[in-house]
Amino acid sequence: MKKSIKTALLASALLPCALSAANAADLRMSWWGGDSRHVATQEALKACGAKYGHTIAPEFTGFAGYLEKLTTQMAGGTEADIMQVNWPWLPLFSRDGTGFADLKDMGGVDLSQYPQTDLDGVTVKDHVQGIPVSTTGRVFFFNTTTLEEAGLGAPTTWDEFFGAAEALRKKEGEDYRLFNAVSESAQLLVSLAVTQKTGKDLVDPETNRVAWTPEELVEGINFYQRMVDTGAIQSRQDEAAEGNVKLYEKTAWAEGKIAGSYEWDSTYFKFSDPLAEGEVLTAVPMVKFEDAVTEGVYRKPSMLLSISKHSKNPEAAAEILNCLVNEPEGIDALGDTRGLPASKVALERLQAAGAIKPELLKAHEIMMASEGPAVSPFNEHPELRATFVDTLEEFAYGQVSAEEAAAYIIDGANDVLSQFD
Amino acid sequence: MTRKRALGLGYLTPYIIGLLVFTMIPFGASLYLSFTDYNLMSAPRWTGLENYIQLFTKDRTFRRSLTVTLIYVFTTVPLKLAFALFIAYILNYKLKFINVFRTAFYVPSILGGSIAIAVLWRYIFASEGLVNMMLTGLGFEAVNWFGDPQNALFTITLLRCWQFGSAMVIFLAALQSIDKSLYEAAEIDGASKAHCFIFITIPLITPVIFFNLIMQMVQAFQEFNGPYIITQGGPLKSTYLLPMYIYDEAFRRFDMGYASAIAWVLFVIIMVLTLAAFWSSKKWVYYAGDKRS
Repeated sequence: MKKSIKTALLASALLPCALSAANAADLRMSWWGGDSRHVATQEALKACGAKYGHTIAPEFTGFAGYLEKLTTQMAGGTEADIMQVNWPWLPLFSRDGTGFADLKDMGGVDLSQYPQTDLDGVTVKDHVQGIPVSTTGRVFFFNTTTLEEAGLGAPTTWDEFFGAAEALRKKEGEDYRLFNAVSESAQLLVSLAVTQKTGKDLVDPETNRVAWTPEELVEGINFYQRMVDTGAIQSRQDEAAEGNVKLYEKTAWAEGKIAGSYEWDSTYFKFSDPLAEGEVLTAVPMVKFEDAVTEGVYRKPSMLLSISKHSKNPEAAAEILNCLVNEPEGIDALGDTRGLPASKVALERLQAAGAIKPELLKAHEIMMASEGPAVSPFNEHPELRATFVDTLEEFAYGQVSAEEAAAYIIDGANDVLSQFD
Repeated sequence: MTRKRALGLGYLTPYIIGLLVFTMIPFGASLYLSFTDYNLMSAPRWTGLENYIQLFTKDRTFRRSLTVTLIYVFTTVPLKLAFALFIAYILNYKLKFINVFRTAFYVPSILGGSIAIAVLWRYIFASEGLVNMMLTGLGFEAVNWFGDPQNALFTITLLRCWQFGSAMVIFLAALQSIDKSLYEAAEIDGASKAHCFIFITIPLITPVIFFNLIMQMVQAFQEFNGPYIITQGGPLKSTYLLPMYIYDEAFRRFDMGYASAIAWVLFVIIMVLTLAAFWSSKKWVYYAGDKRS
C-alpha cells in the first residue's frame, strides 16, 4: 500500500511536466535584417520560448535573397511557422487573404494594441494576414540651419514652400535648392499632391482600380513640374547627370545646399549623420495646400510578422508572436531593431525606458499624428511603381505631355491591378 | 568497363553532376518556363507561344532594350578589340620597364567587373566629375554624360572598353609568336611598318582576333553590372540592356515565364551571331598550314 501511494505521489508530481511537454512545440521563425536585429531577435526568441516552453529555431539572412527564399518556401509549403514579411509583398503572397493564417480568427495575438488603420493595411479581404511590427511613413525633413541663415522658417503650406525656394536661392545663391525629389520620392510627391487635393489614395480599395481621374493626376504632375520650374528641386536631367547619387551621399546635402527632403521617418539619422557640423535637420509637420482635403500622409506598415497557414502548431506560434510584440520579454529584447513598434504597449514601455532617440521619436510622432487615407500595398507593386516612375521620367524629359503621362500611368496601373481581380 | 575507364569516369563525375544540376537542367527548365505563365507562387501554367507573341508584337520595352543591346554590342566589341590590339602592339616592343607597363594595363581587367569600379566610373563622369573638370579646364563645355540619353550608352561603352586587359594579353601572346624573320624579309623588300602590320601581323593573328571576337561578343551581350550600378538603365531606357530587363521581369515583377522567354531570345541572338562569325571565319581567318593564298 505504502509503495502504491509513493508511486501515485510521484506520478502526480510529474503530471505538470507531462502536460507542459505535451504543449511544448518546435517552431521556426525566419526574418531578414542586420546584426543588431539578428542578435536581438534570437534573445527575444529565447526569452519568449522559455516563457511558454517552446523552442524556436531561428532562420535569418540579409535582405538580399530573402524574398527569393521565402517565395520558394511558400511555393513548397515549407515556410517557417513565424515569418517576417515585407508589406508590399502582401499582394504577391496573399492575393485573396488566404496566404497566411488569419490572426483575427486564430486568437492568441492581442490586436487591440494596434490602430485600426494599421490593421487595415495588413488585412486582405477581411483576413488579418500579420502583425504590423512597426509603422513607417514619409515626413518632411528640413535643414533648419540653412533656412535660418536665409531668414526663413520651415514652410507649412505649398505657397510658403515655393516662396521659400525662391527666397533661398536669392539669398544664398543659385546653387541652393530648397528640396530634393528624385525617382520614388518624386512619385510620392506627385501622389501627395493629388491625395491632399482629393483625399484619395492612388488605389480605390472598393474597385481595385486607380481612384484618381486623369485630370486629378495631371494636376499632380504639373505640381511636380512647378517644383522644377521654380528651382525648388533639381531637374531629372541634372539628377541623372550627377549619376543618380543618393541624397545622403551628396556633398550639396552635407553642406546644407539642399535644404530638405521627403523621406521615411525611420531614416532620420541616415540623412542627419552626413550633415556638416552645426547643420541641424528637423522633422516638420506635413506641408499642405491651403484647400487640402487631407494632409495625405503616406503611412504604412513597414513589415509584418505572419504565421504560416501550414504551421502544425499555430497556437504556439501565436503565443510566441504575441510575446515578441506585446509582452515585456519580447519588447525589451527587440527594442527598436525593427523601427519604432506599432504596438501601443511596446512603444510606451520603450519610451518609459528611454530607449528611443528623441529626433527619431519626433519624426515618428509627426508621421503618426498626420492624417490621410489608408495606403494600398499596390502603391509599391514593382510593376506599378516602375510604370509611374518611368512615365514621370518621360514627362521630365519632354517625351510626353502631362495629359499623356497621366493616361499612361492610369492605364498601366489599372493593367497591373486587374491581374489581382 | 576497364579500371582506367572507371577511374576516368569517377574523376569526371563531380563535373558531370555540376553540369547537369547547375547548367543543363536549368537550361531545359528555362525553355519550358518560357512557354508558361509562372510567378513562383503558383504552378506554371502552359500558355504556348503567348510570351513570345507578346515580346515581338506588343512589348515596346523589349524592342527598346533589344535595340540598345545591339548598339552596345556592335559598338563595344570592335572598339575594345581595336584598343586591346593597339595597346598589345605597343607593349610588344622591347621597352624599359615593359613588364610594369604590361601589368599596369592589365589591372583594369581584374578590377573592371567590380561594383567599386562602376561606382568610381559614376563619379568620374558625373556633371562635376573628373572628366568634365578636365574638359572645362581645357576650355571645352562640360558634357552631360549620364543625363543625356545620347551620351549615357557611350559612357557605359567606355567602361567596357577600358576593361581590355584580357583581350590584350591574348593579342600580346599572339604577336610574340609571330616569326621575326617574316618582318625582316618584308623590310628587306622595302615594306613599311604599316604594310608589315596589315599584310603580316593581322593575317597571322586572325585566329586570335576570331577567338577574342566571339568571347567579347558573348560577354557584351551579358553585360549587367555597369548599367545597373551607373545608370539603372536610364535615362529613358537608353542603357537598359536585355540582361537588366530579364532581371527586372524575373526578380522585381516575378514573371519568370516572360523572363525566360527574353533569355531564350537573347540566347538565340547570341547563337545566330556566333554561327555567322564561324561561317564568315572561313573567309578571313588563317590557321597555320593553311593552303589558301
